[in-house]
Amino acid sequence: MCNGALFSAPAPSSTIVSIPINCIDYDHPVPKDKKAFIPRGNHSCAYVENLFDKSVETEKIEANQIVFSQWLPLPRDNHQLRMSRWFQSMLTVIQMDVVHNSKNPYPLGKNPKMQLECHLFYRNAEDDENDWKELASAVVERRLDCRIDENQKQDGDLYECDLLPFFELGSVHYDYYLINIRLPVSKRDDEMNKLGTVSGMTFITIFQNGGFTKVWFSLKTVFFPLTLSVLIWFWRRILQLSRPTNLLERTLFALGIILSIMNFPLEWITLLANAPFVLLINDIREGAFYAMLLSFWLIFAGEHMMDSQERNKLSSYWKHLLAVIVGCLALLIFDMCERGVQLTNPFYSIWATTTGTNLALAFIILAGIAACGYFLFLSYMIFRVFRNISTKTASLPQMSSVRRKFYSGLIFRFKFLMLTTLLCAALTVIFFIISQVSEGQWKWGDDGISLEYSSAFLAGVYGMWNMYVFALLSLYAPSHKTMGVAESLDETREEEVQLTQIPSESSALASMITKSTVD
Amino acid sequence: MIQSRSFVRYFLWCPTIKAQELRFKGWELAEGREAAFTHAVSAAGVVYAISRSCREGELQSCGCSRARRPKDLNRDWIWGGCGDNIEYGYRFAKAFVDVREKEKNHPRHSRSLARMLMNLHNNEAGRIAVYNYAKVACKCHGVSGSCSLKTCWQQLPTFREVGDRLKDRYDGATETKFNNRGTKLKRKNRRFNKPNKEDLIYLDDSPDYCTANPETGSLGTVGRECNRSSQGMDGCTLMCCGRGYNTFKRKLVERCHCKFYWCCYVRCKTCERVLDVQTCK
Repeated sequence: MCNGALFSAPAPSSTIVSIPINCIDYDHPVPKDKKAFIPRGNHSCAYVENLFDKSVETEKIEANQIVFSQWLPLPRDNHQLRMSRWFQSMLTVIQMDVVHNSKNPYPLGKNPKMQLECHLFYRNAEDDENDWKELASAVVERRLDCRIDENQKQDGDLYECDLLPFFELGSVHYDYYLINIRLPVSKRDDEMNKLGTVSGMTFITIFQNGGFTKVWFSLKTVFFPLTLSVLIWFWRRILQLSRPTNLLERTLFALGIILSIMNFPLEWITLLANAPFVLLINDIREGAFYAMLLSFWLIFAGEHMMDSQERNKLSSYWKHLLAVIVGCLALLIFDMCERGVQLTNPFYSIWATTTGTNLALAFIILAGIAACGYFLFLSYMIFRVFRNISTKTASLPQMSSVRRKFYSGLIFRFKFLMLTTLLCAALTVIFFIISQVSEGQWKWGDDGISLEYSSAFLAGVYGMWNMYVFALLSLYAPSHKTMGVAESLDETREEEVQLTQIPSESSALASMITKSTVD
Repeated sequence: MIQSRSFVRYFLWCPTIKAQELRFKGWELAEGREAAFTHAVSAAGVVYAISRSCREGELQSCGCSRARRPKDLNRDWIWGGCGDNIEYGYRFAKAFVDVREKEKNHPRHSRSLARMLMNLHNNEAGRIAVYNYAKVACKCHGVSGSCSLKTCWQQLPTFREVGDRLKDRYDGATETKFNNRGTKLKRKNRRFNKPNKEDLIYLDDSPDYCTANPETGSLGTVGRECNRSSQGMDGCTLMCCGRGYNTFKRKLVERCHCKFYWCCYVRCKTCERVLDVQTCK
């Protein structure tokens, strides 16, 4: 339905690689609060092109006076570009350029702490050119991690440093952004001053592409009414039945509700209002959907066990569901710690401190363990279902025709779901691998690629799981036709019965099973 | 450019050429390996410098590589971003550096045509040394920092890497001559590999850089400082071309006991020390 747009969709995100201008703060010791250093234009700062410039020595410019400053986005084709609200979110990482200097060496292996005094300003195109307003400011610490080939350690050689997280904004509401960074030299903390020699830095800003946002919005806007209507139809069918609802139906209903919540195109408000929280809400919605999908598979397998055990209530699955809940809670807390805190301080990063890193790793490992536990549970349950299926198929010919239809219906339904689920999961994994590989191998001269794998992956996976739930809701809805006597069914209606038959009131199932053992 | 100068400084053949002169002096040199290297380094320097200025936002004219027409610029940028400007640097350098070579038409088999072909080839090799060796760096930024979303960008190689690569090409440069029609250059000796786009080519063997020769632009090595302990190009044995060297003592006033920070002005004391210096005879 969105195929045309999908194939012309750009990559999900773009980058602006920019090198900051080395502005000089001549008033330095006298603090001037919230002064913006602008790298270009009519109000541009005084700057040096190179930190090793002779004027730095002659004018006695100190490290505290250097303000790394960049105005995003950059000009192109003699035109100052503007950011757009369609970009949704933006994050910036820093690549530090540390130069080898035998007189002032970088402390190899010590991962020195670096202090950053950061200011982020914004301005709209129609504002006065000097009217930069502060969006956020903070003094943060980052740990440098640089390496060099020992054989090539000559003065002037660059170290290879890990990227440092800098800031993340949940909304791109303004036209221009201005980054100002100072690396203050501390008189007290001497460890902080041992950074080696820094020759500059590079900002890498990543933002979602407007074209991708448009495709994504249209996907959501189309899927939301579709899934909502099939959900309402499904629930009305269930309510028409004379019996109370069973667990599987309630689970399917919950899955539909959560999918509808995820599909709700809340993002449209970001075009009108500054809503950085949408990014966090999207994370939570997506997480909730996958948690529900995982729980659904557990319950579906459990309800098709076809043994004499009475289930049909949530409490009999608590052990299995615990794995899902623990894993998702760990990821939720981790996400709240990172993106939640970033709502108030965009420079915050859980990875910046050692305790934060350990905590983050602990949460991720916990989630990993929970995921392993979940897959063990699920595989074991599916194994048991298949074992029961094979014993049932063996005894099918001896059963009466009602029970034979009932069981073959159950078996068919289970196998059908297994097959579609496996197909969807396999496609997700294959798409993921293709998109990762194609992204990593991207090189110059690859302009000819017309299909963007990453955006096709994201949109494809999103659409596929939507269609999956859509199919479940419509195929597993109970028939409104009365079940009638099985014997009177003609061949043409057989398949429909098999698909729409309910896993039945478990008491009836239990009685049948006992009957079959008697047989 | 500054880096290319520091790189070139170690070479025997053009010790005193300053960065600005490097490009223009290049034509004065004979059509040897050194001229080939000079052209390649300066062309690489232009790509490098332009790409860097684009990233600084200093150069307003840098293109948006995805935009087809300037009038659609803003729409294209919002739709799919702009991409990086190493490509622009490459195209700019191609137009800017090669224009002088293409000014005139040269007759077949002429020396000037050979020189033009050689320069064009080496310029391209220099540009490619930057352009083709840009590395791809990536960042994962999906839900909870996972790699469900990954974005990559181009990283310029350091100029030293470019210089090292060109130095290797300089060592393995191919001597060439006209083909039978006198329109193209081909390798002189069939035993060597055919030069590809990345290789440097030259026409003549290197002139004697040991003695001054105003015709070739060589300044000679008499009076140049050399390193007694080095076995390389800067060592006294090679640089002085077997003429031997003089040693004398030089008093050096140095800055010492400095308090270093990550950058900028350094507070130091001054110390004096005596140093042995060697110069070629």
